Amino acid sequence: MTSLLLVEDDEVIRIAVGRTLERYGFTVRTAADGLAGLDRFREGPPDLLLLDVMLPGLDGIGLCRRVRETSQVPILMMSARGDSLDVVGGLEAGADDYVVKPVDTSVLVARIRAVMRRAAVDPSADPAADRAAELVFGDVRIDPGGLEVTRAGRPVALTPTELRLLLELAAHPGVVLERHRLLREVWDYKWQGGDSRVVDLCVARLRTKIGAERIETVRGFGYKLRR
Amino acid sequence: MAVLAAVAVTVASGSIGLAIHQSTKSRQLYYGRVTARGDLAEVIGSDRTDQQVPASLVPPKLAAEALTTTSPVTFYDSSFSLQPVMWAAQYVDGKLVVAQYPMASEQRDLEALDRHTLYAAAGTVAVLVPLAAFGAEFAGRRLRRAARTAHRIAAGDLDARIGPRGRAGDEVHDISRAVDSMADALQRRLRAEQRFTADVAHELRTPLAGLVAATELLPDGEATELVRDRVRVLRSLTENLLEVSRLDAQVETADFVAVPLPEFVSETVAGIGFDVRLSVEGDPVVRTDPRRLDRILTNLLLNADKHGRAPIELGISGLTLTVRDHGPGFPPDILAEGPSRFRTGAPERGRGHGLGLTIALGQARVIGAGLEFGDAVDGGAIARVRLPPIPDSALDTDAAGHLTPLDT
Repeated sequence: MTSLLLVEDDEVIRIAVGRTLERYGFTVRTAADGLAGLDRFREGPPDLLLLDVMLPGLDGIGLCRRVRETSQVPILMMSARGDSLDVVGGLEAGADDYVVKPVDTSVLVARIRAVMRRAAVDPSADPAADRAAELVFGDVRIDPGGLEVTRAGRPVALTPTELRLLLELAAHPGVVLERHRLLREVWDYKWQGGDSRVVDLCVARLRTKIGAERIETVRGFGYKLRR
Repeated sequence: MAVLAAVAVTVASGSIGLAIHQSTKSRQLYYGRVTARGDLAEVIGSDRTDQQVPASLVPPKLAAEALTTTSPVTFYDSSFSLQPVMWAAQYVDGKLVVAQYPMASEQRDLEALDRHTLYAAAGTVAVLVPLAAFGAEFAGRRLRRAARTAHRIAAGDLDARIGPRGRAGDEVHDISRAVDSMADALQRRLRAEQRFTADVAHELRTPLAGLVAATELLPDGEATELVRDRVRVLRSLTENLLEVSRLDAQVETADFVAVPLPEFVSETVAGIGFDVRLSVEGDPVVRTDPRRLDRILTNLLLNADKHGRAPIELGISGLTLTVRDHGPGFPPDILAEGPSRFRTGAPERGRGHGLGLTIALGQARVIGAGLEFGDAVDGGAIARVRLPPIPDSALDTDAAGHLTPLDT
């Protein structure tokens, strides 16, 4: 059973969202502020962290950053202001995606599942991946079978989303992939959804891990991986 | 304005010329008279009274006047055949003594003076008229600029200003400053109202989020459905208000990507929740912002569903997307002035808070698309979205069907 940690200071939302997600079959633990959330996380890491951005004490962005110091667990942020900078702050701190409150349970569950799916890339789903040779981009080596990435011989810790993004770019070497195409392929958004800042900030995080020169930005279009 | 200046200059130089002409002439006549009398006195004093002008040449008027007095009389004869002459005459011992002073050189001087006055006047007109024309044009241009700016502000460009131009203190400068400061004040008021709307919508979001989450927990049933329906309406109103205030603030920017229209619109139609007849010509790929285009189409379709009647059709032909219903058509005020918030037109248009079309129009502006509202000849409302054309050369499709720019 998938375990979630929900950190939300609004009591009604915390209780109602928690109960609803339990109905969908998730195990839900809750915390009312950032520090309590960090404690719950350390007691036992969940499969996914669902975070409000605005929290008393340690806010969602700070909590996200602290968790990312040690863990690549999928993180989904909830924001009441989808158009403001707190979304960008959360994504920069390492969140995989965000939803805007109020959110329909069906949408929230779809987002959770999309992030979870990324966390469990199954190599056997793609028979070609088993036999595929190691992919080499400069000093970055990707083993598509074992899903391991090394840079200059040392393993790189990637979040599931970052790994999916890297694999998508590596599957089309030298081709510019538009941000909306990446939103569809990596984040499972349709044309109508998804914020391209999610892509931009995930690319930014990936660059710090595998080297900024590996991913080229084609302004106004998208990104491509360089050999 | 230039004609007026030309007339004014001509009249002014004409009357000044006339005055100079008159005073010069009277001075010449006075001098002629004095000289003629002096000559006469000299003739009378000498013994040359015999060497007289033949009586036939003496003007009769002069002779007649001399008879009435014993003092010398003068007569200016401009009809004299060759040149004007100043006559002086006096009866001395019953005999008419005359002297004449030719005034040809004075006549020539006066003619020269008149000529020069004319030249000067013509020169002045030649210089002043273009200057006046330019000055009038300059002032006129500034006033027209002020009027244009005022129209732009009225049309919604709140940043338009006339700007400080020309001399401080002249009338055009004053009116420009007055219009600008009025625009500033209006803009501040409007921005404050927009901020207030956005803040209210934001503040509503948090309790609404709890409400939305809590209604999910209610047991299914008729009462629950009623509550959920009202919560949905409240939520869409709040979201639409936020969207309108973001569009009003003009901070929105489009995120353009290549969008295959058939695939895109079928996803939009699939999520709309009622039947839409979709017809697509060809396989057009457009460069646009899919989220915003979705907001436009969704709002047009929802409007057709609310206020029109089935069947609702969505047609795609090239860069034009057409939403059509078979209801009573758009109310006249929407056709005449375009949509405005919280107005659904005629009461028979039914429920709805009237933000949908405003959002569609605002989003169309962000992606550079045109949005027209009209009525079909055989009934029903037609909304037409015209996407801006994109140059074919800007895009190329690689073998795998991925769109890539040519310059990479």
